Amino acid sequence: MPTDKDDVLQGTLALMVLQTLHTLGPQHGYGIARRIEQVSGHAIALNQGTLYPALVRLEQQRWIKPTWGVSDNNRRAKFYTLTARGKKRLTAETTRWSRVVATIERFLRAAGNPS
Amino acid sequence: MTAWSLWIARLRELCVGRSIDRDLSDEVRSHLDHLTDEFIRRGFTRDAARQAAAREFGSIEQTKEAIRDTRGIPMLEHLFVDVRRAVRSLAKARSFTTVAVITLALGIGVNVAIFSVLDAVVLRPLPYPGADRLVSIYEVTVGTGPARASTSGSVLGGGVGGGDDPGRTVVAPANYVDYQARTQEFSGMAGLNQLTMTVTGSGTPEQVIGEEVTPNYFGVLQATPALGRLLSIDDGRPGAPFVVVISHGVWQRRYGGEPSVLGKSMMLDDVPHEIVGVMPREFAAVSQFGLVDPISFWAPRYYSTDLLANHGDHEINVVARLAQGATLEAAERSLAAISDDLERRFPLTNEHLRAHVRPLVDDLVRRVRTSLVVIMSMVGLILLIACVNVANLLIVRGAGKRREVAIRYALGASRVRVASAMLVESFVLAAGAGLLGVGLATGVKGVLVALAPQNLPRLNAVGLDGRVIGFSAIVAMVSGVIFGLLPAWQTRTARPLEALGSGERTVASRWMARWRTALLVAEIAISMILLIGAGLMVKSLVSLNAVDLGFRTDHVLAMSLNLPERHYKTADDRFRFFQTLEAQLSTVSGVVHVGYANRFPLRSGWVSSVEIDGASASNPLVFDANCQAVNPGYFDTLDLHLVRGRLLGAGDRKTAEPVAVVSDAFSTQLLHGADAIGHRMRLRPTGPWVTVVGVIADMRRGGKTAAIRPQVYLSAAQTDLYPVHLADVAVQVDGRITDPAAMSAALSRAVWAVDKDQSVSSVRMLDEVVATGAKSQRFQATLVGLFAALALTLAMVGIHGVVSYVVTQRTPEIGLRMALGADRWVILRWLLRGTSPLVVIGAVAGLIGAVAFSRYVSSLLFQVTATDSVTYVSATLLISLVAMGSAALAARRATTINPVQALRAE
Repeated sequence: MPTDKDDVLQGTLALMVLQTLHTLGPQHGYGIARRIEQVSGHAIALNQGTLYPALVRLEQQRWIKPTWGVSDNNRRAKFYTLTARGKKRLTAETTRWSRVVATIERFLRAAGNPS
Repeated sequence: MTAWSLWIARLRELCVGRSIDRDLSDEVRSHLDHLTDEFIRRGFTRDAARQAAAREFGSIEQTKEAIRDTRGIPMLEHLFVDVRRAVRSLAKARSFTTVAVITLALGIGVNVAIFSVLDAVVLRPLPYPGADRLVSIYEVTVGTGPARASTSGSVLGGGVGGGDDPGRTVVAPANYVDYQARTQEFSGMAGLNQLTMTVTGSGTPEQVIGEEVTPNYFGVLQATPALGRLLSIDDGRPGAPFVVVISHGVWQRRYGGEPSVLGKSMMLDDVPHEIVGVMPREFAAVSQFGLVDPISFWAPRYYSTDLLANHGDHEINVVARLAQGATLEAAERSLAAISDDLERRFPLTNEHLRAHVRPLVDDLVRRVRTSLVVIMSMVGLILLIACVNVANLLIVRGAGKRREVAIRYALGASRVRVASAMLVESFVLAAGAGLLGVGLATGVKGVLVALAPQNLPRLNAVGLDGRVIGFSAIVAMVSGVIFGLLPAWQTRTARPLEALGSGERTVASRWMARWRTALLVAEIAISMILLIGAGLMVKSLVSLNAVDLGFRTDHVLAMSLNLPERHYKTADDRFRFFQTLEAQLSTVSGVVHVGYANRFPLRSGWVSSVEIDGASASNPLVFDANCQAVNPGYFDTLDLHLVRGRLLGAGDRKTAEPVAVVSDAFSTQLLHGADAIGHRMRLRPTGPWVTVVGVIADMRRGGKTAAIRPQVYLSAAQTDLYPVHLADVAVQVDGRITDPAAMSAALSRAVWAVDKDQSVSSVRMLDEVVATGAKSQRFQATLVGLFAALALTLAMVGIHGVVSYVVTQRTPEIGLRMALGADRWVILRWLLRGTSPLVVIGAVAGLIGAVAFSRYVSSLLFQVTATDSVTYVSATLLISLVAMGSAALAARRATTINPVQALRAE
């Protein structure tokens, strides 16, 4: 994997996946990976060994639900759908995330930016 | 999110693991397909796109693994995957699996079977509360005095080995009362002895075995009755009404398990005894261990003042319970002080006599323990050979699997995962073998129990219970580790590159060759130890069979008659009965000689101290001797040879001068070789002097393993000389009768013609008794012999396998040599030259091991030293022959190699 791209933090990946599914509706693993790369402006490269375990964990938490279907390419693929629990979780996580970001920003500004 | 539902999800995934795995593969493939499509869209060709996609995706195996780790419970998940894979791959390699599983199952099976016996007979605690504080007490002659060995019915410690400890005897009641009263180290002490009585009254008359016990017997054992009460101190007082406690078995059999049995009267030897209590089913009498027939009743015993005055009359077994906080050593010290005091007060009987304490469980199983532990270690070695064989097979198989392993490495599997997968395969193999082994053990156990001497203590408790199954599981797993580690370790050296070429083949095979050499040496060494052990035991059995007892045992039929004291009050009454019986038996056709005595040889006996006349008062000559009261026909019945003087005759009646015949050992052991004839002796300090009139040849009264001891024969007619009861009668049957045992009915009829109410017991051919005595030795030798044969077979298979593999590996080389003109013999010699140093190293290691092992075996041997050179040399020869033979058998195949084909194969 190229090293100049950011590794994805565990918690943020879950949030990205949930947000992706919320925005695009049901998606397969490949689609989710592409979307995250695109939205991040290719700053994030997803290792499949990271993405799929994350999907499994989300599924185990019952935030997403998998179903087999046919993709745009006319290929069989496993589609993940956001569940009601997942939607609730997304809202909660988004709020929490915004708060964290705001706090960190305030903190950095108060400390005086070196640049 | 609660951790709870997460685990439930994981657990569910664990259960549907297989379909999830398929799902996973599908998902990964789908991802790859999409990636390929993407590259095609960017203008790649189909093949280039596929390669690019694979490159971009990275390691498929690692991704799958990462997903699996998240799903389910990774450790278990891996295990399941590995187990499934192992089962699949083992099922495919059918011949390998069959050989490996059978080899291991044999090893595990014999171990489990022997363990089940060892556990039930030796390891399990005695079935009494606080059994570890129970001890038995004996008396031992220490120091210089002549051994005071007793054959007078020690009820404890029957077992496989032969021969009592020299100088050990049961306790004299006169000493017992001192031991009991004068030390605080015991919370209780009880005396017991076995007795046989006839039950009459309700139901058919039957002979039953019981224990005569001091009333506190049950208290010492901390036993409680199922019904009624136990014996009380009052029951043991002189003149107390006769009471008895009966066993659960008798209660069920004779009284239908009715609670109303209490208070009923039970006729024992025609005397009514009131039944006061019933013991629970699980209660085991102390003398039950080592006994086939059940102990059926417990009667209180009262030691008469006569008995308590005679410190030389050793006749009771003593069990005691150590007091809280007391130790065995403290108890022994305290008893030693009492022994010292008794020695001062009664020098004639108690000189050099010490009380000896040992744990009761040791006492009950001591003779079998060594034997079983040795056999257990032998089967342990067999399992080791089996493991070595399987390890060898696995290494060969591992060599074949190197490619597969290398591929897995190339696909990104970790070393630990690959090695653990190999170990799992070993465990699956071990588990299968374990299951088969337990099945095998059930059969082997059945044979063992059937073959074992019936007096092996607790033999009826042998079974495959939880402990034994647990043991099997442990054995199977441990052997899995033993033979699995090496092959798993072997994969360590596999390199991903190997998947592509055969780059490191030579390194790998050199590594393997080294280990296989070591295994071969180990195998030879272990078989060697077993073979020597078996050789020693067989030789010991042969010398045992060669022992001359000194009296006739074939065609001699003996039986016991317990004359009830109610009908036969005096010794003269009993003598008259036997006189009449002798006449009656003589009329039975086929009977050649009739003898009677207090006891016949091999049927326990009477040991008495004998004082020899002629010594000064300050230095009295007092010895212990086997004494018996016999009729003149006794000598003819047993074919005892007269050496000097005369035998006892009809003239030695009560009114005549008291006379005795002694055995040769009497002169050699007690009189320093002086002629015994004319010497006088007495059996009680105040008894009449008895003159020796004849000397007969020596005999081993106690059986083949017993020592030769001085024998004293008194005339049965001189009833004042002996305190014991006449009880045994034996006939010598015409040598032409092929089945003398069939005469027992005719003999019983003769007894009933004299007294129709007299019960007859212990009807046995003497040679049958001898055979039973040797049975334990034969059992031991048979077992060890069979195990050695098994070990040798396994070793043969192992050696054959190793050499065959070498031949297969070197086929091109052999072909080359043959093409260059080597003839078959040269090839054969060349192949065997590799093996012979290994055989030598193995044999030397085996000899060293056997010498180390011999210390434990020596106590099981009879007239054979544990380092018997003949056995060692024969074993060495045999093992070399077998090892070289099986190597040659395998190597012979090499000589049939067609050089052209062999060279082409490379």
